[in-house]
Amino acid sequence: MKHYFHGGIHPADGTDKQLSNQKPIRIYAPKTVEISMKQSPGSICEAAVKVGDKVSKGDLIGRPVEFGGANIHASISGTIIDIRTDSDFSGRKSEIIVIQSDDANADETNSISDYEESLVDLSGYTKEEIIIKMNEGGIIGLGGAGFPTHIKYETKERIKYILINAAECEPYLTCDHMLIMEHGYAVINGVLLLVKASDADKAIICFEDNKQDAAKHLESIVSDKELPIEIKILPTRYPQGGERQLVEAVLRMEVPAGKLPASIGVIINNVGTAKAVADTVIGSIPLITRVVTVTGEVKEPCNYMVPIGTRFCELIELSGGYTIKDQRVIEGGPMTGICLQIGGTYDTLSGSVTKATSGLVVLKDVPKDETPCIRCGECERVCPAGLAPFKIDFAAIEDDISLCNKLYATECISCGCCSYVCPAKRELAYRITEAKTEIYRLGA
Amino acid sequence: MKLKTGNELHEVSPHIMINRSTKVIMQDVVLAMIPALLGSIYFFGINALILVVSAVTTCVLSEYIWQRIRKEQLTTNDWSAVVTGILLAFNVPSTTPIWAVMLASVFAIIVVKQFFGGIGSNFANPALMGRAFLLFLWPASISGYVTTYHSGVDAVSSATVLGLYKSGSDFSMFSKWDMFIGNIPGCIGETSTLLLLIGFAYLCYRRVVNTAATGAYIATVLLMTFVFSRDGLFKGDILTNLLSGGLILGACFMMTDYASVAPRVKVTLAVIAGLITAGIRLWGMLPEGVSYGILAANCLSGLVEIIIRPHIYGVRLKKQKN
Repeated sequence: MKHYFHGGIHPADGTDKQLSNQKPIRIYAPKTVEISMKQSPGSICEAAVKVGDKVSKGDLIGRPVEFGGANIHASISGTIIDIRTDSDFSGRKSEIIVIQSDDANADETNSISDYEESLVDLSGYTKEEIIIKMNEGGIIGLGGAGFPTHIKYETKERIKYILINAAECEPYLTCDHMLIMEHGYAVINGVLLLVKASDADKAIICFEDNKQDAAKHLESIVSDKELPIEIKILPTRYPQGGERQLVEAVLRMEVPAGKLPASIGVIINNVGTAKAVADTVIGSIPLITRVVTVTGEVKEPCNYMVPIGTRFCELIELSGGYTIKDQRVIEGGPMTGICLQIGGTYDTLSGSVTKATSGLVVLKDVPKDETPCIRCGECERVCPAGLAPFKIDFAAIEDDISLCNKLYATECISCGCCSYVCPAKRELAYRITEAKTEIYRLGA
Repeated sequence: MKLKTGNELHEVSPHIMINRSTKVIMQDVVLAMIPALLGSIYFFGINALILVVSAVTTCVLSEYIWQRIRKEQLTTNDWSAVVTGILLAFNVPSTTPIWAVMLASVFAIIVVKQFFGGIGSNFANPALMGRAFLLFLWPASISGYVTTYHSGVDAVSSATVLGLYKSGSDFSMFSKWDMFIGNIPGCIGETSTLLLLIGFAYLCYRRVVNTAATGAYIATVLLMTFVFSRDGLFKGDILTNLLSGGLILGACFMMTDYASVAPRVKVTLAVIAGLITAGIRLWGMLPEGVSYGILAANCLSGLVEIIIRPHIYGVRLKKQKN
C-alpha cells in the first residue's frame, strides 16, 4: 500500500542529493564562533554572559525571553570577545555572542560514548527527567522550524505515535541522511527516549525511498529487539517532511486546522532532534553541534559536523569556494531556505550556523520575471493544503486580507510548491505567506 | 500589507523552479497544432494556410497595438495570441473570407481577451468566441463547407458529415477511414482526427494538458449521442460522432485551454460541455455543438467552483470539533 499526501511535487531529479551523500561527515572545529541569540524565527534569547567571560563548552550563555525560545550554550571553550547587536530583515534586534577558542582546549579528545555504538538501558530515566533535560539542553527542532522540543512533550493530550521525520524532502540536503548513516545508535537511543517522554505506543521513523540505505541501517539496529519502533518507507515527494503531510501520508489522518498534531495524539520530531535528545539526556551534552550540508555550486560538496555559531564563510571556504560567479547562497533547502547572498565573494558572506541550519546550498542565480497568471491551475493541483494559490495571490496583491482569510490563506504551510510549478513564475508562496502573517497579526 | 517588489522579491524562496514557462507551454501548443495545419493545407489547399496566417497576424497585431495604446505590459511574446489565431482559423471552413477571419481575430483578442484583463483573465476561450461572433453576425461567411481536394471529386460545396447525419441524408460516400484521416468537409483544423491526436500525444508527453477533462468530454458526448440517437435509444452512430465534426479538436485543444478553469472542477466542466454539445447535436438546430458546449462550460466555471468546494487540509476536522 503506497502512502501519499495530497498534492506535492518532485522538485529535482535526484542527482542533487548525490552531490553530498557519498562522503563521510567531516568534523570541523573553528577558532571563533558567532552564536546568534536568535536560533530560529521568533525565538529571541538574551545573553547570560558578558564580554571577557571565560566559558567552557556546554556552559549556558543565553536564556529565552520568548515562548518559542530555548537555552543557548557555548559551543566551544574560550573567551567572549564581543557581543554585538544585529537586526534581521524585519527590524527585530537580537544579540550575537562571539567566542574565541582557547588553545588549551583545542586538543580535547572525543571519546565515543556507549549510546553512540549500542542500545543502552534507559530504564533509569523518567518521563519528567527527560523533558527537563530537553529544556535545559536547549533542544529545538532541527528540521528548520526550530520549535522547542520540550514544549511539544509538555502536552496534556494522550500521545499514541511519535513520527520521526527522516524524509529530508528538501532537494540537495543530506545532513539527516548522513547523520543516520554515521550515528544510527544515537538516533535510535534518542527515539526510545522520546517514546518514553511521551508514553507513546510506538515511534515510526519515516524515510523517503531515495534513502533506502539509511532505512536499512536503522532496520538492522532495531530488528529482532522488540522495540516500539517501526520503520516506514514513503515514496519520495516534496513536502513529505511537512508535519501535517507526514501525518497524512503515514497515519492517514489530518491534523485539524489551527491545532497542533498533539491534538490527534501525534508528535513529530526530526531525526536530528532525536539524536540531540540522546546527546543531552544520556551524554549530558547540550545542543551545541549539528550537521550542516554545504552543497551545490561549491568545489567539494560535503556534510560537516560543526559547533553552533560556525561562520558561513568558513564553511564555504572549507568546501573550496564557489565554482560560479553569479551564485545565490541559501541557508536551508532551496524550497524554503533564506537567500543569504546573490553574487559577490564568500568572504563577504555574513551569518553563522544556528540550531536550525540544515545546509548551505549554492545555486546559480536565475533571473525571473513575473508574468500574468494564465490560470493553468498547476498551483492548486500541487498545493498540499488544498488551497487555490493563484486566487490568494490576486487577493494579496489587492491587499484584500479578508478575502485571503476566506480563501484559507492561514492554512498555507509555505512549502513553495505553488511558486515552483508556476509557469508564469509568480511568487505565490511568498505573497500567501505574507497574507497569512498579516491575518494573524490583525487577529491578534 | 507591504509586499516586496523588484530586487527584493527576487530573493524570496523557493530558489528553484520548474523548467517551464507560459511561453514554452504556448509554443508547445502551437507545435502540437502543426500536424493538423499541414493536413488542412493538404486537404483544403493553400486557402487554409492563408486563413491561419491572417488570423495569427491579426491576433498578434491587435494584442500588440492594444497594449501599446493602453501602455500595458507587452505580452505578445508569450505566444498566446498565436495559439488563439491558429485555433480561430481552425474553427472556420476554408471558404471563409479573409476579412471575416480578421474581424473575428480582433474581436477575440480585444473584446474577449483584453477587455477582461488579458491572458488568464478572459472568461471564455477567445478563439471560440471569435467563431461565435461570426456565426451570429455573418452566418453565411462561415457556412461554405466544401469537399476536400482528395475526396474523388473536384472540391464542391457540401454539407458536413454531421449535417448529413442529422438531416438523415446519406453520407456513405465518406468512409470511416476518410473521417479518421480528415478527408471530409469541415472546418480547417477539425477534420483530421489522426493528426490532431498526434498533436495531443505530444501535449500529453509534455504534460501540458489535463487528459481527464479531454476524456470526460469525449465520453460524455459519445454516451449521450449513442443513447439518445435519432434512430431510437442506444442506436447512435458512435464513430461518426467521434470522427466527424469538431469533437476531437475541441476535446484536445479547447476543452484543455486554461480559460478560467480550475483543475478541481475541470472534469465536471468537461461533462457539462459534453452534455451541451450532445444536446445541440441531438436536439438543437445546428448539426454541431462543440464550440457552444465549451463556451457554455467556460461561462459556468465560476458557478461550478462555488458548488464543488475544495478539500482544504484540516478544515473539515476543525469545524467538527468546534
